[in-house]
Parts: sequence; structure tokens; C-alpha cells
Amino acid sequence: MNDETFLNERIEVIAAYGDGLNPCRPIKFRRLNGREITISEIGLRYPSNQGKRMVHIFDVTDQSADYRLEFDSERLTWHLTREGDHYAE
Amino acid sequence: MRSDYNPESPLVMHIDLNSAFATIEQQSRPMLRNRPVAVVNRRTNLTSIVTASYEAKAFGVKVGMRLIEAERLMPGLIAIESDPEKYRFVYKKLSKILSDYSPNFVMKSIDEGVIDFHGVVNCRPMQEIGLEIKQRLRDEVGNYMRCNVGIGPNRFLAKTAAGLHKPDGMDEINHTNLRQVLATLELTDLTGIASHNEARLHKIGINTPLQFLDSSSVTLEKIVFKSVIGQHWHQRLRGWEVDDRVFDMKRVGRQYVLESRNLNRTQIVQRLHNLCESVGSRLRSQNKTARGIYVYAKTAEHGYWHASKMTQLPFYSDGTIYSLAYQLFSRAPDGIREIGVHCYELSDDDDTQLSLFGDVIVREHQLSDAIDNINQRYGDRTVHSADTMATDELIKQKVPFGGVRYL
Repeated sequence: MNDETFLNERIEVIAAYGDGLNPCRPIKFRRLNGREITISEIGLRYPSNQGKRMVHIFDVTDQSADYRLEFDSERLTWHLTREGDHYAE
Repeated sequence: MRSDYNPESPLVMHIDLNSAFATIEQQSRPMLRNRPVAVVNRRTNLTSIVTASYEAKAFGVKVGMRLIEAERLMPGLIAIESDPEKYRFVYKKLSKILSDYSPNFVMKSIDEGVIDFHGVVNCRPMQEIGLEIKQRLRDEVGNYMRCNVGIGPNRFLAKTAAGLHKPDGMDEINHTNLRQVLATLELTDLTGIASHNEARLHKIGINTPLQFLDSSSVTLEKIVFKSVIGQHWHQRLRGWEVDDRVFDMKRVGRQYVLESRNLNRTQIVQRLHNLCESVGSRLRSQNKTARGIYVYAKTAEHGYWHASKMTQLPFYSDGTIYSLAYQLFSRAPDGIREIGVHCYELSDDDDTQLSLFGDVIVREHQLSDAIDNINQRYGDRTVHSADTMATDELIKQKVPFGGVRYL
């Protein structure tokens, strides 16, 4: 069974803003414990309506674990909400 | 009726995402790629598999199999709980891509759509469009996304073509290769022929798709299917279109497999109440009212209990649905493992028919509409009955495979 960890951790993010289909691309984030994670790939980016608030979900990886980052477009905050790295071999 | 094969150049394209939910999970979570993944609706061993990735399918893991059995077949299988929002996003993307090619496109389910190019002027070669759709899916959703493309003179043959080479295939069936393709298939490879229809065909010595194709319309209509369905099969197999019809919605329902066999009656009724609110919301989202309600329960001993009731006046609100379902459910047996509620005898909610109880109905409408508006604005189930408060985490909205009405 896959064991994702569900979190609600405020994080600091460095993101690049450009053009194209995915104009916002998170590049790196720092967790509360100071650990920095460099994103190697954005798996999927999709908007999610949480009531009238729009949150953009970024499912990303650093090649050792998958993470879910959520960008709240009203409050302009980033949260780490999931971490999945307990894969059975 | 035509007995020849449809000779026109194929203009119907069927696009089918491969192992859709599992592939979307592998797209969104790169660490899952090339690993055996099963998507389930709940993280329990007794749950059934909704979709398996190709890596899991290679070890015999199948859709509908219990997770516990699948894990025996494939130790290390990664079970992921389904994430409807993500699938809806991909569905909308796919739908948008398909709509760019013809006004005549329809999404048949959350993971497949059909484009009809009849009447499209200056139509490019179908193979070229098929390759472009595959590329756009990779560009606009993600580079792990794959789809099968089938091209045929009608919907049925286009869908059959889409299933020939999975994953990521593209095939065409036309009047010149129809017999050759059907010769490679089993009867049950044809959409619409499962074990029951296969047995009907076997009864009169039709054992292969080619024999099926060569059967006369009269044989299929009078002997095999004993209805006009036989004629439809005769035409469908020859590439003539008989499936471009839209069926009216007949019923709206939901069911739930209880998370434990040790729930008391009050707890089960709370779950029933939650289902009634969900059914009410679906009914209103389609602007329908209902006059019939059907409640069922499956018991641990494989028993099936059901009860139904028709009302004189159409109903619409969660409160009415629940009160009718509750009355019926009071006669349900003990030892329940699954419950379900359906509304039927649906009609359009045009609000035009006057009745002696007009005021009551208007008040009911206004209250339901106000609650629906709040829930749309502030999030699903912001307002709901206190009775169902503890059940939301258990009874989550799941994505239906068979239709796209509630997406």
C-alpha cells in the first residue's frame, strides 16, 4: 500500500514566471526544517476550487520523492500538502 | 437496410486514454512511473481496483479485482486512492483538444471521446490528426500521457480500432481491411458482446467475429437477439452508423459499500442520508425532478433487498428524498454490507405545472436552490444536514466511469 504523508506545511518557494501553457514553474522550495528541495519535474499542474478560492496544485518531484505544492492565488502563499516516498521495491 | 460494407473513407475517430486513472497518477507523480500502480476508491484491502497501470496488468492485475488478491499476484503493488479532481482536469483538457477539430465531438466517458469529421471542410488526413492529438495530449497535459486512436467509418469500428494496439496505438478499420481485422479478434473483443451475448451467438453456431459479420440481418434479428438490436448489429459491423443517438437520463443514484460490518442501524441510516443528499444534488444539477425512489441493501450473506415507491407529485429536495428513502429503509434486513438509493421517473424541472401544493413546492425549490448556490460558491457540502456530519470523510464523491454528466 502506498503511504503518502498528508501535510499542511507553509513553505518558501522560488518560482519562474514565463509564457506558454504553464507560466508559473516552481523551481525550488525550503521546508520548515530548513531542508531545500530542487524540483526536477512538474508532473501535473491543475487548478482547484476550494470554495470561491482558487488554489493551483503542483505535483512535483525531485527524483527521490513526489510532493504536492499548493499555491493559494488569493493569499499568495505556498503550502506543501503531500509527500510520497514510501514506495515498495 | 444495406447489406454491403460502408465504402466511404473513415471519418470517425475514437480517442481513448490508456489505463486513464493510473496513467494520470503516473504523470502527476513521476516516482510512480514504470511501477505497478492500482487506483482504488478507498485504502482498504477489501476495496476493488478501479484502474491498474500496464505494469500491474502485465502481472494479471485486473480492473474489479480485490486489492488483497492483486497484492498476492503482484507483491509491491502500489495502491493509490483515486483523486477525482485530477481526472476531471485531464478530462477537460482532452475535451478541449477534441473540440478543436470538429463541432461534432462527444465525450463518451471520462477517458474517451469521439470526433465525427463528417461535414468538416478541408479535412486533413485522419492519421495526421491522430498523431497531432497524441502530441497535444503530451504537450498540454504531460509527457507520460498516452492515448489510443482508432479511425473507422462508424463509432463502433473506430472504437474497435482504438483497442487493437494498446498502449499508444493508432489503427484504422475501413471496408478494405474489415474482414482481416475481425479475423484477429474474439467475439468478446467487440464492444457490446460480453458473456451473455456471446452465449446467444454460440447457440446458433456463431463463434467468431467473421461468422458474426457474415450472418444475415434476419438471423440476427429473429433468432439471436430477437429484436431490432439484431439489425443494429448487422449494420454496425458493416460500418454503417447506428450509435449516434443520445439517450435520456432514466435514473440518478449512488451506492456505498459500508466501511465496516459492525455498524449499527443509526450509523447506516446516516450514510443513507449522505447518499440521499448526493443524489439530490445530482438530480438538481441536471434540472430534473423525480417521482420514484428505489432503495436497496446487499447483505453479508449475498442477499439482495430492495424497496421502491412512486409519488403523485414530483420531488426535488434532499429532505424529501431522504424522508422517502428512510421510510422504505426501515424494512431493510440486518447484516448489511452495501446500500444504494436511486431516483427514477425523471422529468424536466420546468416548474410549469400548477398544483394544489404549489406553495409548498415553490418553497422547497427556493430552499434547495439557495443551498445549492452556497455549496457551489463556498465548496461542496458547505451546507448539509447535521446528521451526515461524520460521514463526509467516508463517502467521498468518486468519478463515475460510465458517463460524463456529473463532471
